[in-house]
Amino acid sequence: MLLEVANLSVWYDKAMLINHLSMGVDTGELVCLVGPNGAGKSTLLRAITGLVAWEREITRRSTHGEIALEGTVTFDGERIDKIPAHEIVKRGLILCPERRRPFREMTVIDNLMAGSYLLKDKNEIQQNLGKAYQLFSVLKDRSNQISGTLSGGEQQMLAIGRALMSRPKLLCIDEPSTGLAPLLRTEVFQKIGEISKLGITVLLIEQEVSTVFKLSTRNYVLSSGKIIAEGTGDQLLQDEVLRKTYLGL
Amino acid sequence: MALLVDIVMSGLISGSVFALLAIGFSLIFGVARIVNIAHTAFYMVAAYCIYFATHKLGLHPLWSMVAAIILVTLLGIISYKLFINPIREHHGAVLIATIALAMAFQEVMGLIFTGSYLSVPKLIKGYHVILGVKVFYQQLLTFGAALLILGGLWLLLMRTKLGLAVRSTAQDREVANLMGINEARVAMMTMGLSVGLAAFTGAVVVPLTVLEPHMWMHPLIMMMAVVVLGGLGSLKGSFLGAYILGFAEAMVVFLAPMGAFLKGSVALSIMILVLLIRPEGLFGVSFEEER
Repeated sequence: MLLEVANLSVWYDKAMLINHLSMGVDTGELVCLVGPNGAGKSTLLRAITGLVAWEREITRRSTHGEIALEGTVTFDGERIDKIPAHEIVKRGLILCPERRRPFREMTVIDNLMAGSYLLKDKNEIQQNLGKAYQLFSVLKDRSNQISGTLSGGEQQMLAIGRALMSRPKLLCIDEPSTGLAPLLRTEVFQKIGEISKLGITVLLIEQEVSTVFKLSTRNYVLSSGKIIAEGTGDQLLQDEVLRKTYLGL
Repeated sequence: MALLVDIVMSGLISGSVFALLAIGFSLIFGVARIVNIAHTAFYMVAAYCIYFATHKLGLHPLWSMVAAIILVTLLGIISYKLFINPIREHHGAVLIATIALAMAFQEVMGLIFTGSYLSVPKLIKGYHVILGVKVFYQQLLTFGAALLILGGLWLLLMRTKLGLAVRSTAQDREVANLMGINEARVAMMTMGLSVGLAAFTGAVVVPLTVLEPHMWMHPLIMMMAVVVLGGLGSLKGSFLGAYILGFAEAMVVFLAPMGAFLKGSVALSIMILVLLIRPEGLFGVSFEEER
């Protein structure tokens, strides 16, 4: 397994957001996490990529409550749950965060360059930039535009492009379709499919089950911080209760 | 006409000094949300270092400046590590700690150098008469050096990897982590850069001013006014705001010499007026708290 999460629990103050959760992603897969709001999907990705641990360090030094984290996360054969977030990226695991979050006052090209911050080789950076432009041609046309002025769809392309600049092995994307018009959603999903075909493993959070199940190789259904079902889209859709209660279909 | 030359020279110099100070202050605020009240105290310490090196050690003023900038930058990083970093997430505590730091510097300088007025020789002597007004070469040097450093800072921020890291962290430190940027280290380096700028300001301004342990207070107030006027966190705003207030001060001093004591109040009134119309400042960005 490329990514293996074992017995992971996360508490924010007294609230247990992730409850002894275990899951895994194999190389080449496109795995989708679905589930209702507040199920812990984003928290799971944040825990995997080290952001929960980072936030815990910050809250420890402030008065804003307490965060606790238990369990293990293994990536590419190495335990990463004790490694700081900025070191995890080096190992090829990156998160494209919720609400896209580009560096709003920086240009598109600067955003992309920040994505390849850790790479030293100029040729490699140029190569990655070429690939990102090939995938998202709109970014090339707007490379000198301030990213805060891009449309929502373009910002999403930028956020994914920026994440790809670090040449990840595993790309986690948190709700890429939120707030986008239907046509743009289709385009974003199509791009994610293309990324997966490039050989990059993808772990995706998405609410729009009908579209994403056609794309994914495997899915996890999350509820109250636990995995309550796992399988391909077709398998999950056969379960009447699951369909009605958790997938909203 | 002579009055105009006076106002322009004085405005350019105080504007540059405010710009250097305000940009340094804005930098560390932008990156780490640290309101460093001790910022101008570092500027004072640098000025005293130069006095000590030239008068007591007999060093050439230029070498004294270099030494002062390096020493004070180190002092800034040490202060950050010891006093600010451990409480960085408590913004109120940081504020209080930096006030304490500034007072401590003031008292230590007072103890070592007494409270009397001191001065440092000019780097280059002589002056040029423009329209009957003596413009000292030192004034031109101070102005030129300030612009040069601001230009260098701009290049550093816009053209280097460290600059990219600083800007990314200032925008969104959580996402900066995801790019592989060690935001804690960037914050420390920005503190060094910020204090270095304050030290540099002290170095270029010390030949034009008198040294005393309270010399950090007026620049502090003006610097904060500049930062608020320009818009918190905006370097462009700080730059422009600095010259606006610098010229405002100069105009009060030269157009109404009897009212020179009002220079601070006039500058602050301009700030208040701008804030009444644009609460976010000239180039302010409305902060969006991310979690």
